[in-house]
Amino acid sequence: MSAAAPSIKSQPVYRPLEWDTAGASHLLFVAADDRPLLDRLLAAPPHGELAVVVADPIAAERLGKTTAAAQMVLRHDLSDGLKSLESIVQKAHMGLRLYLVGPEDAIWQAAGIAARYGMLSPEIRLFQTGTKARPVFCVHCRAMTRGVRTNLVDCSGCGRTLFVRDHFSRRLGAYMGFQIDAEEPGVKPPVEVAYP
Amino acid sequence: MNAEIALVLSRIVELAPGIREFWLTREDGGELPAYSGGSHIVLSLPLPGGIRRNPYSLVGDPNDHQKWRIAVRRQEQSRGGSAWLHESAREGQSIKVSMPANLFPMARLARHHILVAGGIGVTPIVSHARELARLGESFEVHYAHRAPEFGVLTNELRQLAGSDLYCYVASRNETIDFRELLNGRPLGTHAYLCGPQGMVEDFHKTARDMGWPDTHVHSERFLAPPPGEAFTVRLARSARELVVKSDQSMLEALEAAGTEPPFLCRGGACGQCETEVVACDSTIQHNDLFLSQAERDSGRKIMPCVSRLSGGCITINL
Repeated sequence: MSAAAPSIKSQPVYRPLEWDTAGASHLLFVAADDRPLLDRLLAAPPHGELAVVVADPIAAERLGKTTAAAQMVLRHDLSDGLKSLESIVQKAHMGLRLYLVGPEDAIWQAAGIAARYGMLSPEIRLFQTGTKARPVFCVHCRAMTRGVRTNLVDCSGCGRTLFVRDHFSRRLGAYMGFQIDAEEPGVKPPVEVAYP
Repeated sequence: MNAEIALVLSRIVELAPGIREFWLTREDGGELPAYSGGSHIVLSLPLPGGIRRNPYSLVGDPNDHQKWRIAVRRQEQSRGGSAWLHESAREGQSIKVSMPANLFPMARLARHHILVAGGIGVTPIVSHARELARLGESFEVHYAHRAPEFGVLTNELRQLAGSDLYCYVASRNETIDFRELLNGRPLGTHAYLCGPQGMVEDFHKTARDMGWPDTHVHSERFLAPPPGEAFTVRLARSARELVVKSDQSMLEALEAAGTEPPFLCRGGACGQCETEVVACDSTIQHNDLFLSQAERDSGRKIMPCVSRLSGGCITINL
């Protein structure tokens, strides 16, 4: 579900997901089993060919019997799902609309693949659902730390304790993290679960 | 604002009946500023009745700093600009020219480019083709014209695009089928068109019908200011009044009266000359391609380069 108004302009806001009727064909990427949303979308599939790529074990199990899509690719994890998505996007034609459903880490990695093949924002709709865990980009060493649920995290690259900001980069698909105790070494606020 | 430089019309070439190419160079033989593919310049043409400023797309090589090239078709309904260039312009003559501006830039992140030219609309397409060829990008060119002799830049395009140049000659009943042209294109393809109004509209409509987002479809079209009834303009800030003659645009009348409103394209496309309307006792004829329907309905804005009044008086915030 989309959060309330973001605290910072760069933080994405996700609108309720609808099919884009201007599209000639459609590709739905599912990285979390949001039942009400998926049932609603698949009960009224869009005009034009629909392909679905699932990148989540529970959704793969449940959506296996769906008949709304002309093409159904069932993968049980994100990395396989992203590979399948790329192989479809690689061969796809103008007129395609891409719908990305899942946690931010998954949908922004998928959006990055689409951008590599020349898709622009009017062709892509994203919707955040499932875990709120954040991908965090270290502004010091440029390493990515994924699945971050806390306000502070140790960078997977340089080990600095990073504060997870709301500042989001669409290009990197990640929130910015900076060293929390750079000015006063060792002075850190308590660690809290902020992104369940 | 509106900086101009004096250049020399150093060469005039007859390309076809009614189509001439002009070379513009610096008087001191020095280098001209760089521009990007798709750019245009505005020429200040010294017509007997006063200066006429017309936009023309640069047709040459954006990397050629020695000369700027334009190609001009003599318009049957010429307001004097193209007629002057075809009848009165002489080699060696000095002429004032604006800096290049680009309202038709290429999409740098595209995976493939489809360039489409209709008639004299080929001019910005050539500069795009040059830049794409230089960058080693994937592109193709589709060039529609009336008859074989009007395919004036075919050889140049052939050198740039090779077998990816497709010509459509109306006198041989050849036309571009946009549906076929746009079908089955890989994601990340961008399509560009410069040509007559009907062609531009058909192109956008077909692309939209086929699911292409507007972000991937680009076109350029400059309108000539249409003539109409004479009307009065009141300048609210300087408390002056002037008359726009029937064959004059409002922008031209403002310039003739010594004001210098900003402009870029002078053809209703760029929005640079947008002016606030304070009062109006008549109907505004919005001829531009820039203002939204809501802005038109509000009656608060006018694009003086192409829009005018059906008689009466308009007060603007100038």
